[in-house]
Amino acid sequence: MKKTMTKLLSLVLAAMLMLSTLAFTGCQKAMPDFEMPEGGYDGSEVTITFYHTMGQSLQSVLNSAIEYFNTLYPNIHIEHTQIGGYDDVRNQISTELTAQRQPNIAYCYPDHVALYNVADAVVTLDQFISSTQEITLADGSTTILGLTQEQVDDFVDGYWNEGKSFGDGKMYALPLSKSTELLFYNKTFFTEHNLSVPTTWEEMEAVCRQIKEIDPTCIPLGYDSEANWFITLCQQYGSPYTSLDDSGHFLFDNQTNIDFVKELRTWHKDGLVTTQEIYGAYTSGLFTAQGEGEVKSYMSIGSSGGTVHQLPTQDGDGKYPFEVGIASIPQVNPEKPAAISQGPSLCIFQNENPQEVIASWLFMKFLTTDLAFQADFSMASGYVPVIESAKNDPFYENFLSKADGFDNLAALGASVCLAQKDAYFTSPAFNGSTVAREQVGALLQKCLTENWSDAELDAKIKETFRDAITECEYRS
Amino acid sequence: MVESKHKWKAWLYLSPAIVLLLIFTVWPIINTIRMSLLVDYSTIKETGGYAFDFGIKNFVRVLNYPKFLNCLKNTLLLCVLTVPLSTILALLIAVCLNAIKPLQRFLQTVFFLPYVTNSIAIGMVFSAMFNIIGNNIGSSTQLITTAGIINNIIGVFGVDPINWINAGSSYWANITVLVVYIVWDALPFKILVLLGGLQSINRQYYDAAKVDSTPRSRVFTKITVPLLSPMIAYVVITAFIGGFKEYSSIVGIFGDGMGPAGDKGRLNTMVGFIYDSLAASQEGLASAAALILFAIIFVVTMINLYVSKKKTHY
Amino acid sequence: MTEHVSMQEKNLQQVSAHQRIVKVAVQVLLYAFLFLMALTVLFPFYWMLISSVKTLAEYQLQIPTFFPRKIVFFNYVEAFQTANLGRLFLNTLYVGVVSTLLSLVITVLSAFAFARLEFKGKNALFAALLATMMIPGELFTITNYITVDTFGWMETFTALIVPFLVSVFYIYLLRQNFMQIPNELYLAAKVDGTSDLKYLWKVMIPLALPTLISITILKMMGAWNSYIWPRLVANKPEMRLITNGLRNAFTDANTQQTNIPVQMAAVAIVSFPLFLVFIFLRKYIMKGVSRSGIKG
Repeated sequence: MKKTMTKLLSLVLAAMLMLSTLAFTGCQKAMPDFEMPEGGYDGSEVTITFYHTMGQSLQSVLNSAIEYFNTLYPNIHIEHTQIGGYDDVRNQISTELTAQRQPNIAYCYPDHVALYNVADAVVTLDQFISSTQEITLADGSTTILGLTQEQVDDFVDGYWNEGKSFGDGKMYALPLSKSTELLFYNKTFFTEHNLSVPTTWEEMEAVCRQIKEIDPTCIPLGYDSEANWFITLCQQYGSPYTSLDDSGHFLFDNQTNIDFVKELRTWHKDGLVTTQEIYGAYTSGLFTAQGEGEVKSYMSIGSSGGTVHQLPTQDGDGKYPFEVGIASIPQVNPEKPAAISQGPSLCIFQNENPQEVIASWLFMKFLTTDLAFQADFSMASGYVPVIESAKNDPFYENFLSKADGFDNLAALGASVCLAQKDAYFTSPAFNGSTVAREQVGALLQKCLTENWSDAELDAKIKETFRDAITECEYRS
Repeated sequence: MVESKHKWKAWLYLSPAIVLLLIFTVWPIINTIRMSLLVDYSTIKETGGYAFDFGIKNFVRVLNYPKFLNCLKNTLLLCVLTVPLSTILALLIAVCLNAIKPLQRFLQTVFFLPYVTNSIAIGMVFSAMFNIIGNNIGSSTQLITTAGIINNIIGVFGVDPINWINAGSSYWANITVLVVYIVWDALPFKILVLLGGLQSINRQYYDAAKVDSTPRSRVFTKITVPLLSPMIAYVVITAFIGGFKEYSSIVGIFGDGMGPAGDKGRLNTMVGFIYDSLAASQEGLASAAALILFAIIFVVTMINLYVSKKKTHY
Repeated sequence: MTEHVSMQEKNLQQVSAHQRIVKVAVQVLLYAFLFLMALTVLFPFYWMLISSVKTLAEYQLQIPTFFPRKIVFFNYVEAFQTANLGRLFLNTLYVGVVSTLLSLVITVLSAFAFARLEFKGKNALFAALLATMMIPGELFTITNYITVDTFGWMETFTALIVPFLVSVFYIYLLRQNFMQIPNELYLAAKVDGTSDLKYLWKVMIPLALPTLISITILKMMGAWNSYIWPRLVANKPEMRLITNGLRNAFTDANTQQTNIPVQMAAVAIVSFPLFLVFIFLRKYIMKGVSRSGIKG
């Protein structure tokens, strides 16, 4: 009997050994580094996988774009999949990278790219962008593989620069569609009480106090994203937030930031402002509230992608209870405006087959520079196009021309976004930059809501900042 | 007991299970140990060809991290509160169910329903019920727009709305909500096990007590509980193991932030800590934390088994 | 049995009217307590169901309504439409059935070995198995992902089925059940020359049927509720399982706003078949689960 036991045991051990060596080698395969083949795209049949977060309506826009793309490149097949939300895409791909099963193209945020780059998995785009290699399309016309200077200039600068915010000057991503934060205000109420729309934070405080006097049971301003508020204020004040420098990524613990957090704390204590997390729901609900005895807000700062949610519901006769106005968010210095830029970019992953990589580039180039797709996608999503010429698309032009504070609020939001194109910024992206984002959001919530006495206030705020830094350093 | 020439048969019967376990459980455990011993290990770094030092620094880093103790505290607190509470409540319900005739089956079914649900989904329902929507809750400038259905219910009895899970809520209010939810979630399994046990107790014991006209409370403590002790021990041990792995109930109610607005991470638990590390691609730290958790559960289970061996009557 | 009843009757005759009143009062209290608890247990389900038939506007009312003003079913339609539901159900059923069958075979054999056979290291092995239950399984995901890839099982149902075939908990559950069956039966069968497998099939399996059915249910529930692993190893639309498919309905990825009524409808859809199975097989499941504790 001992014999069988030992036999079994040795079998088991052998199996484990085999498995472990397999798994180890699985990990240590180096990522193939893309090199441009001699002839560029050779027209061979390839299938490109594309991970995104698009819902049903956007997928139908994408599908018709793919249909058109295939009339130009019939041999490039696109398989696209929705992988939950942005974080899900990141988690999925970072797991897939360990087995080299990553997709060809994916939706990305800068910090995702930084994470993938730990495994050297993202293909740099500079070699494509500058390529003048000629390509013949299915309809017989020719084009170049890269981008013309005109096409490059067409990208909104702030969006374009996001793709090379990784410290090495190389381009890793192209913007697909972008959103920012906008100030939504109750125009009817503002006109009625002769209030002016604030352009600076000082004016904002004054307007809030005026509104609070008119309607003491209201919360004048709702700001959806605490993290965005903190990061935007850092940018507007010019105070440090994070840096790409490996010797110290997290710089947000400084006096300027402590001071504005303290200031915002008094706003919150006086009932002037609330945020999504503090309020317990999207602040657009507060902004659009109309019922008798319901608490209201008269201003809301939220994503331009959620513009339609800022529209109140019509009454029985199809009339809106008030008109919505949209403006850029308040500034510290209106001369040097800053508004956060968000929304997906696209990146390409390394692949053993160089033709798949080139085909991915061609598809990416198509999505980011095709006028019709950029315009259709924006109209369906509430995001804005990343190329300025999209404004010239006749459908988009028509869409924008109808902008108003009622049914066509999305168009109004889009035109405000387009008008402030020089204000867009993104914060530096590195592996761990999301932790910083999470931490400053949590920090702001805490400093606004905790019941600290005046005597301990300064010490407590300092402590909260320090804790946030500790947390960032532990988690990156 | 059974002749030994069939020993190989036992191994034959066990072989499919053992092979699968070796591949999909034992090997991952070995890999976990490996990852925990490679300093700052991360699979994505490994894919990128980084080399890692060998050592116990991951464990040191986890144990020195101030929030780790907080996670441990939350886990222990929830265990200590929910295990006895749910066991006692389940015992009461099981005894009551056992004492009634009409509607017994119907009620049994009702009490079992929570067993067949997805805990994160039901957690969202609980969170919606306790959620207050408003600003400056609990201060002089408070504005409440929605008090939440639970506050509406306690309002009927003249109780002021309580800030259960929102910004500025107290730690104990949060814990109360979690305890309610966890107990709710744990009841069906326990009721069922205990009821099954009760129904298998020989009626003669009760009849004897009746003849002696023993008071009900004495019957409960002297007959029911001792005879049910193996089942109670089983329920308590599994509840402790489950309790140490508490995670999804907190996500269900507070979301990934593991805490109310304004104090994220306050309610984080050991498993939540492991997840956080995994999400930040810090598999080395996650593995170290998981092994620490394993050691704790192991010790507690051993203590439980020791105590139950002494206390249970077979 | 008759003796037992008659004794009780005699006892009943002896109790005085006073005791009878106490008895009634106790019964009333018992029912009151049980109904109160039952209401508490049911309330979240009620809330889920009414939320799923409210309009978004009504759901977002600042003062929530206990009963919907207007019952609408388009949330269900929307939850259905977001995914190819027929395909999802079929896939889930396939994965559920295959993995349940295989899992039952493996579990029965192992439980039999642990309950009936003597071999060296049995207790140590069993303890080791139980210890694996104490490790958070999520930690296995990455290693198993690489393993499954090494085996070439990506994007196949195999990857969804095989890694989870063995559950220590089920083996434990069934072993407890098998141990209740008197050993004499087995020894008698041995004397008669009945083979192990025949004995297992003819005697033990019928006796342990409730446990086997509850394992079946738990396993099917697993297929129904699994989310992260299927998305990782088999996420092609034609391979998706139900929870994964319905998840699309939860949050609008562009605005990050959740349509909670639709989400509640999705949860209800996902839970409904489980409820049905539960109602039909209630007796067995309850027996199965409740027996697991005996002889702990």
